[in-house]
Amino acid sequence: MLLLLPLMIPVLGAGFILLFRNPRFATRAALLVGALEVLALGAVIWQVHLQGELQEGRYLRADALSAFFLMSIAFVSGIVLIYSSGYLRHTGEGRFSSPRWFYALVFMFLFTMISVCLSANLGLLWIMMEGTTLASALLVGFYNTEGAIEAGWKYLIVCTVGIAFALFGTIVLYLAAVKAGMSPASGLDWISLMNAAPGMALDPHLVKLAFVFVIVGYGTKIGFVPMHSWLPDAHAEAPTPISALLSAVLLNCAMYALMRYDVIVSRTVGPAFSHTLLLIFGVLSMVVAGLLILVQRNLKRLLAYSSIEHMGIIAIGLGLGGPLGLLGALLHTFNHSAAKSLLFFGAGNVRHNMGTLRIDGIQGISRTMPQTSAALVVGGLAIVGLPPFSLFISEFAILSEAFAQAHYLVAALFLIVLSVVFGGFAYHLFRMLCGKPGRRPENARLIPSEYISMGIAALCVLYFGVRIPHFFNVLLHEAMAVLR
Amino acid sequence: MGLVGIATEKILSSFSVFLFLTIILLAVARRISTSVLLFSLQSAIITAEVLATGFQEKLASAYLVGILIFVIKVVAIPRAFFVLTKRLKTVHDVKASTTPSQSVFVVAVMIYLSYAAVHSYGGAVRAPGDSLAAAIALILTGAFLMVSRKKAVMQVLGLLVMENGIFLAALLTTFGMPLVIEIGIFFDILMGLLLMGIFMFRISDTFEHLDVSKLRRLRG
Repeated sequence: MLLLLPLMIPVLGAGFILLFRNPRFATRAALLVGALEVLALGAVIWQVHLQGELQEGRYLRADALSAFFLMSIAFVSGIVLIYSSGYLRHTGEGRFSSPRWFYALVFMFLFTMISVCLSANLGLLWIMMEGTTLASALLVGFYNTEGAIEAGWKYLIVCTVGIAFALFGTIVLYLAAVKAGMSPASGLDWISLMNAAPGMALDPHLVKLAFVFVIVGYGTKIGFVPMHSWLPDAHAEAPTPISALLSAVLLNCAMYALMRYDVIVSRTVGPAFSHTLLLIFGVLSMVVAGLLILVQRNLKRLLAYSSIEHMGIIAIGLGLGGPLGLLGALLHTFNHSAAKSLLFFGAGNVRHNMGTLRIDGIQGISRTMPQTSAALVVGGLAIVGLPPFSLFISEFAILSEAFAQAHYLVAALFLIVLSVVFGGFAYHLFRMLCGKPGRRPENARLIPSEYISMGIAALCVLYFGVRIPHFFNVLLHEAMAVLR
Repeated sequence: MGLVGIATEKILSSFSVFLFLTIILLAVARRISTSVLLFSLQSAIITAEVLATGFQEKLASAYLVGILIFVIKVVAIPRAFFVLTKRLKTVHDVKASTTPSQSVFVVAVMIYLSYAAVHSYGGAVRAPGDSLAAAIALILTGAFLMVSRKKAVMQVLGLLVMENGIFLAALLTTFGMPLVIEIGIFFDILMGLLLMGIFMFRISDTFEHLDVSKLRRLRG
């Protein structure tokens, strides 16, 4: 029953919120549903921690890896809902573009992402992954401007095609499983596949073919270069809370899906094949996105390219494997979520007050908007991986794994890109912070919803850099054991 | 073996020829309505293959899937396309960026490639080679239609052709996925089409055209 709870709450909640035409009531209803949702997710995570694994029927299951990702979903969705409650105060009434539609779609989006993490069946996982695209496409096009519609269309088409490849990969894996003598009913169940993996080695070609299609398919959702074309547009044109959700939760969920396949394929044909592919995509994404960060002119596009870069880092961690590589990769998914949410919230405030996101149109905000600037500086320092922030630890872990395994080329590229990104972020941030204030912001002081959400994110980035809480650490190591 | 048995064998062994025919015709079609009709025809052929497989392998769930495909892909989606093109008052031309002869050439190369792919992986599956090659050719042609046709409607149609190919490949190699998953995939496709419809209305409202190649404000 417990596993059904976090799935029922968002669906029923979405319907409940649609009943309220008044934006203020809709906001309150959304906060209520959000609180229930976070509690339900917390209960699931706690039960997984106690029992090791939860199963509900044939199609739902949660183990430590799912619980770890549920934790970042719960954390980010919580602060995003708090932030949205203030952010949407200027939004008017339109077809699918009113606050109540916004919240209803956000909860449907959350429903699909939570289902991805709770699916016991790779087919269901695919269905829900496609569902994330469908639920969020209208949110990307929420503002109904030319740019938003273009970004929404591109997002819908590119991701649907990408995901179609993942379906093909799933079918090929299913074929390999059935040929290896598994029953059709369990041929898509990831735990049966993991257990039966050595037996599928009879058909290594099929399993490898499946993984190629899956990494291209889910890689499109993760934003691996060269399938990333939708990502900067969608992140830049979506309302800010949605950019944060896309970057901090959706990309992680797609990464989770890829991890499930990676485990199965590694156990079948040995880790070399899938890990090499992950390393190639990871390094490529990191290098290309790192260089593109330098030439960005729009604050949110800058953050979007940074997300691609960080997904590359996570893929490198997974591709290296080993205790430190996996630790770094998993930890980085969480740390990146916290830091990127903070940055997007800051960008949202800038947009509200300055009316633009063009970097050359934003000047001297350290004087006119000191609090927002402080958030951007903390987020910026964290995202480039400086100590004492948490991203330093995860990046350092991945880097030391690369040296330990003598992957010197990967390590060198990793370090070069990190320094390039540091330069790029410092350059762009200084340009916005310093200079003569062009235009007086409308209300520079933060409202409660803003400083609560940004405060939680900033504290989290800082605290996890100093020490990792015991409970979190235990869950992290259990999740690593699943990936081994 | 009764008459039905013979028909089943014939459908499974030789209907892939008709599938190749539909994709070659799709390559030369200049009007949106022709393309939609060809898609409908293609789905009808696939329905026949599903029913034949169901009969041969004695799978009751295949009949249900067959009926679903018939209702959704042969009847409902083409109808929706006709209604949509009428409401959007779009011109009938598909706005191809390649000439028909170039398109046919590309599709021919893709058919060759699919046979090559089936040849190298052929030993792994017990499906008939021609049908599997047809499935892969459908996927490739769908992708080609998406990149070479500028109309938003045609991009969606390309996506559907691709999806037909994936479905056929699944059917031939594994006799279909478990029914629940199959129905979930259908539901996703329907929702996706609905959303694409909404976006097409928004594009035509905001930009006053449906030419996707002119959507190029976001770059870099």
